[in-house]
Amino acid sequence: MTCAEFEQVLPDASEGNREFEYEQHLRSCSACRSLVADLNAISQQARDLPDCGDPSPRVWNSIEIALTREGIIRPSSRGELASVHRFPTRWRSAWLLPAAAALLVTAGVVRYERGTGPSVMPNAPDATAQVASMRPEQSPDDRQLIESVALRMPAMKASYEANLQDVNSYIRDAEQSVKNNPNDEAAQQYLSNAYEQREMVYEMAEERSLP
Amino acid sequence: MLSRQRAAQLVILVVLVGVVLATAEDRKEYRFKVRKGASISVVNQYGPISVKAGARKQVLVTAILRSDKVEIDQGQSGSRITLLSHLLPGADATSGQVEYQIVVPTDASVTLRSTTGPLHVEKLHGDVILESNTANVDLRDLANGHVHVKTLNGLVTLTNIVDGHVEITSLGGDVMLNAVSGPLVEVNSSSGKINYDGDFGGEGEYSLTSHTGDIEATAPGDASIDVTARSEQGKVISDFSLQPKHTSFPMRAGSAFAGTMGKAASSVRLFSFSGKIHLKKRQTN
Repeated sequence: MTCAEFEQVLPDASEGNREFEYEQHLRSCSACRSLVADLNAISQQARDLPDCGDPSPRVWNSIEIALTREGIIRPSSRGELASVHRFPTRWRSAWLLPAAAALLVTAGVVRYERGTGPSVMPNAPDATAQVASMRPEQSPDDRQLIESVALRMPAMKASYEANLQDVNSYIRDAEQSVKNNPNDEAAQQYLSNAYEQREMVYEMAEERSLP
Repeated sequence: MLSRQRAAQLVILVVLVGVVLATAEDRKEYRFKVRKGASISVVNQYGPISVKAGARKQVLVTAILRSDKVEIDQGQSGSRITLLSHLLPGADATSGQVEYQIVVPTDASVTLRSTTGPLHVEKLHGDVILESNTANVDLRDLANGHVHVKTLNGLVTLTNIVDGHVEITSLGGDVMLNAVSGPLVEVNSSSGKINYDGDFGGEGEYSLTSHTGDIEATAPGDASIDVTARSEQGKVISDFSLQPKHTSFPMRAGSAFAGTMGKAASSVRLFSFSGKIHLKKRQTN
């Protein structure tokens, strides 16, 4: 399955109709995994927003005109709207909060451009700087990972938080050791091992996205 | 009379409930024809996976599903077999459990992923790749292949693993190595303990490192090793009298030792940041 095909079946998959090829692609493609995680995060945050009441009929008319103009919908012979592209009920409900969705997407883009990237896998030097500057708080990558785990596997959230705390502690000690003894082979080995542990936590958190 | 009737009713009720519970499980069996060098991949979030060698040119799978909240997606492409426990809406760690018992050819390679496990593999010569969250991992009687284990908090036990490349990364789970030898044996632990009991044979490179976990290595009196052991903040003890060797780091008594024994055929590095390290001499009867 290609990424384009994956995106086509994504609306159905979000309603629970997950085919084997979908699962296989999700396992193997970090970009699509990241997309699913982002969409889930936006959906969750949209649900948490306060109810703003139904928009006025004039808003719906404006949306209808815009969608018709773009060819996404067309009037049927019975006078009802027919959609060229069928959107499942769940995605239609997300459009009920157009302003909130646009705001969340903007926030997501801003966070994305701040260096989280398509994958939450950190590079060693960036992780070093981030961990050092965010000590003892979680780094942005860590927070994003924990949020993603909390959405997909709520029961595992505490375990991953503890694991990240352990591994970040390992990195801090190893960094200090390298700083004190830059030419020490053992210190370099500790740091390398510590980053390998951190990479493992991230990898396993992503792979555990399987249902 | 009334109490006898009541007792009989209760017995019948218990029997009926037992029958219902027994039939709630679903047993599925699969048979795949494969050629030499087959690979089998199993992803099973909840439940044990056991893989043993025994079949020739075929892979036999028995899967016991705990409820109808989980189904098995299986596929074959040539000699590559994939099995995935697909959790349906409403599944949890109990209802989503599947128990796998798999028999494979000796030269098959196996990849297993599980959250709860446990995972068990024995008597294979192919590569073995295991990933677990909290699942205990038990590998025994493996030879010649690459063994890769990644676990966050599961206990890892390797027994009689020879002539292979062994790489284990464990965050908090203990790692127990019994009679493990080969060209490369590498354990990277954070807080888990590392326990090695073997001969450091095979002219291999042995690297046991941890952050806070203790390291205990037991070797025979005639081991042939070039050993370096260091702990930044923990105690380091050796039962052996080693031939001293030059090191690139300052040797602080009680925090490090380095030296050779016999012909120094194998390289052994025992590093822990703050755990205790003990190189023990095996007692002979």
